[in-house]
Amino acid sequence: MTAVTDKIAISGIGCVGAFGCGTQDYVAALKRGYVDALPQEKNHPDGTSFLPALLADTAHLTDYVPRRALRRIDHYARMALLGGYLALADVGLSSDQCEKLGVIVASGYGALTTTFNFLDSVLDDGDSCTSPTSFSNSVHNVAAAYLSMQLQAFGPSLTVSQFELSVCSALHTAVCWLEQGRVDKVLIGGVDEYNPVVNDYCRQRFSDHDVSIGNIDPFNFNSCSTIAGEGAAFLLLTKGDKWCGGESEQACHAPYAYVGALSSGNFSRLDCKDYSPQVGQRGSDLMIIGADGQCDSGNLYSQLQFDRPTLSCSPCYGALPVGQAFDLVAAALMLREQSMFAVNRYQTGTNGNNVNFVPKIDTITSLKIAPTGQFGQIELCAGVDRDA
Amino acid sequence: MTSTVVINGMGCVCAAGNNVEQIVDSMLSGERYVCSAPPFATSHPHPYPVFSVTSPLHDFGLPAEDIVYLRTALLGLNAAQQALDNSCWDMKSLRSLKVGVCIGTTVGSSMDVEKFYADYRSGKTPDMRPVNCFYDGNPATIISKYFAFNGPCQTIVNACSSGTDAIGTATMWLRSGMCDVVLAGGADELCRTTYNGFAALQISSPELCSPFSVERSGLNLGEGAAVMVLAREEIAAEFQGKESLGYILGYGSGTDAWHLTAPHPEGRGLKQALNEAFSNTVKNINDDAVDDNGAIVERLAFVNTHGTGTRDNDCVEGAVLSQLLPKVLFHSTKGYTGHTLGAAGAIEAVLTLAFLRRGQIPASAGFSTIDPEIERTPVTENTTISSDIALSESLAFGGNNAALVISLNRSASGVIS
Amino acid sequence: MTLNEKIKHILIEDLNLEDITVEEIGDEEPLFGDGLGLDSLDAVEMAVIVQKHFGVEIKDMEEGRPALQSVQSLADFITDKQGK
Repeated sequence: MTAVTDKIAISGIGCVGAFGCGTQDYVAALKRGYVDALPQEKNHPDGTSFLPALLADTAHLTDYVPRRALRRIDHYARMALLGGYLALADVGLSSDQCEKLGVIVASGYGALTTTFNFLDSVLDDGDSCTSPTSFSNSVHNVAAAYLSMQLQAFGPSLTVSQFELSVCSALHTAVCWLEQGRVDKVLIGGVDEYNPVVNDYCRQRFSDHDVSIGNIDPFNFNSCSTIAGEGAAFLLLTKGDKWCGGESEQACHAPYAYVGALSSGNFSRLDCKDYSPQVGQRGSDLMIIGADGQCDSGNLYSQLQFDRPTLSCSPCYGALPVGQAFDLVAAALMLREQSMFAVNRYQTGTNGNNVNFVPKIDTITSLKIAPTGQFGQIELCAGVDRDA
Repeated sequence: MTSTVVINGMGCVCAAGNNVEQIVDSMLSGERYVCSAPPFATSHPHPYPVFSVTSPLHDFGLPAEDIVYLRTALLGLNAAQQALDNSCWDMKSLRSLKVGVCIGTTVGSSMDVEKFYADYRSGKTPDMRPVNCFYDGNPATIISKYFAFNGPCQTIVNACSSGTDAIGTATMWLRSGMCDVVLAGGADELCRTTYNGFAALQISSPELCSPFSVERSGLNLGEGAAVMVLAREEIAAEFQGKESLGYILGYGSGTDAWHLTAPHPEGRGLKQALNEAFSNTVKNINDDAVDDNGAIVERLAFVNTHGTGTRDNDCVEGAVLSQLLPKVLFHSTKGYTGHTLGAAGAIEAVLTLAFLRRGQIPASAGFSTIDPEIERTPVTENTTISSDIALSESLAFGGNNAALVISLNRSASGVIS
Repeated sequence: MTLNEKIKHILIEDLNLEDITVEEIGDEEPLFGDGLGLDSLDAVEMAVIVQKHFGVEIKDMEEGRPALQSVQSLADFITDKQGK
């Protein structure tokens, strides 16, 4: 793994998904272990039925953005805006303090629904009558663009699309920005939108397996239990021990966690014994894997050694390419709360239902494996001095 | 960690040619290989001209039917293969190192699956191949997997500045030590979706584009790819002193935070991108004689502009050039390549280095008459250049702006070695 | 419904101006800038809207600019073109 030499702190967190809006709702879902998917009664044009999905509500966005300013902003970008605003609110940063904020958005699919809306306008109205508004809102960087505009953030802006590895890939660049002093704070997040064409029509066409209607069963690696999710999870990253939002000392926040190390590459070349050279030789205390009930990646996750308590949070947010953003949020919350919550776990040699007591959580590793065989691994450390 | 990023190889495919040398030759000869209509059916009453890649691409052993759907990835693979071939890196060495891939695109990451979607909507059972190819065709992943590299992959989707941002991001990965070598660039194909979208925005020209000229009436879309092999200098030296073609000295970017499609009228984000690229260069060359941005500006041989030929882009770019770089020569190569969207910044970075190596830049194709709103004239003839450093810049929807400072030499000496 | 009312309905619907009503848009109120607050992206969208709903082509923004000043100017433009 590549060690992150500077202290890159997770100072703020914002998330929206089927679990609700904000960290409290997310923690409640993690403690429960899952969120129920909403059954959908519609059918696809060819008659196949819509599958249950874990959907996000962005009604709270009008707490931050006037309705008029939202008129052209679709659900995809609204989720990103809400996630971003929640992360800034979490650390008490107001939008007039964002001038030198860097913005990074990771997305597997981008604005899917608006992309199809544009194709609708081509098919319905012909090549000469397509909607320029739909077209310009279908480009991938639209969420980052609206974030920059609403926050008046003039710092660097980046949108990354690497399917399941979008978040880990984006974090590599965020760490570079902070280490090399381009900016002193980066708002980085993952966002993906549920779309019935992709999330269940294509899935039903591609998959020979029975489609489940229960909850995601992430550690049942051979069974296909995936349920599509959507949402946004954002982190405010800062450099240094603590970060002061306002002028006063009261506004200073101890971070949730630090980014300890990053790595990505081919899963076949990942040395499973060498998760974390950064914390001595003993490895991280917990592992959060991105298994989300998909068989193709499940087969790869099943090859892990499971030599430490291993969790999956996907039943709380659903299957979406940027699920790792939600895993990082969960890890940061667990490190601050010093609790592994009561989420799905897998432990060799023990009863999976027993809550394994971990006396002190210093490090958590988040691992996402793509069906293509590439992995992205991020190690987060508790907000204590690692050198001590 | 190192502050020096060397360019060990470069490859490029676009309407102007199949490799870097051919492209530079054709541009210096003033050839413009435009097609009067796109390579797909369209019901526009008057088709917009485009810059297509008409010569066959290497197919990398893909099944014939996949090639249609994986054009962006194939363009990227062709440029990557060229870049590796002329880099003197061997695959065995590369596979022992941490090799990242960072590629900009627009179409390569988009669900522009019109035929599939039309069938789906009408209740037919559509052919799933286009969707499959969308999943399999992520430009960074496909390059990394094809060459069996082990390292981070990033597909950058910053619209039209993606290629510039991809090369800039790669240099940051190298400077941080996250990678030893990075293949960085951009790839994009002509596609009905972008073709219709730009037409709807009324920024596609029915004529050959004429960047910076008063009569300009919009851009011409193009397609292509370019890739650079970038390495940390000490790693390149360790591996038998790999030959350097040049250096990425600095990268900067800035955001307009203004409007989704219109650039900031005073070019706020572009100025910031330029200033950051210059200060980043000052920091990276770490030479007491070059202590401020002005020292870099003085040494610039030329600027390869974004220069799309739309009213707004050229006005804003011209204003920023007048303000920050009033004496520096500039041109646009969009008149030879078309606007290749996510590939544009990478193609132009490769061309910038190629022109530095040739010691001259081609005339800005399509320019005829000065625009009083811009007050600056791009080079109208092939022009010999007098230094070893140049700037390549990109502007994009969403208010993204990015710039690279590229040099033949490690230091910004300002002279031709 | 008068042509002006029809245009107002279409603008509210197609440009997602859900926070205003037909009654609140004045016939002579500027559509762009300080009036209704529309921008350059709305302008090109309106060219498509006019073509789609009224079968009238706005060739480019040179022709569009005077037509898109207000609901009244747009109605006049449409009436004029449809009459030809």
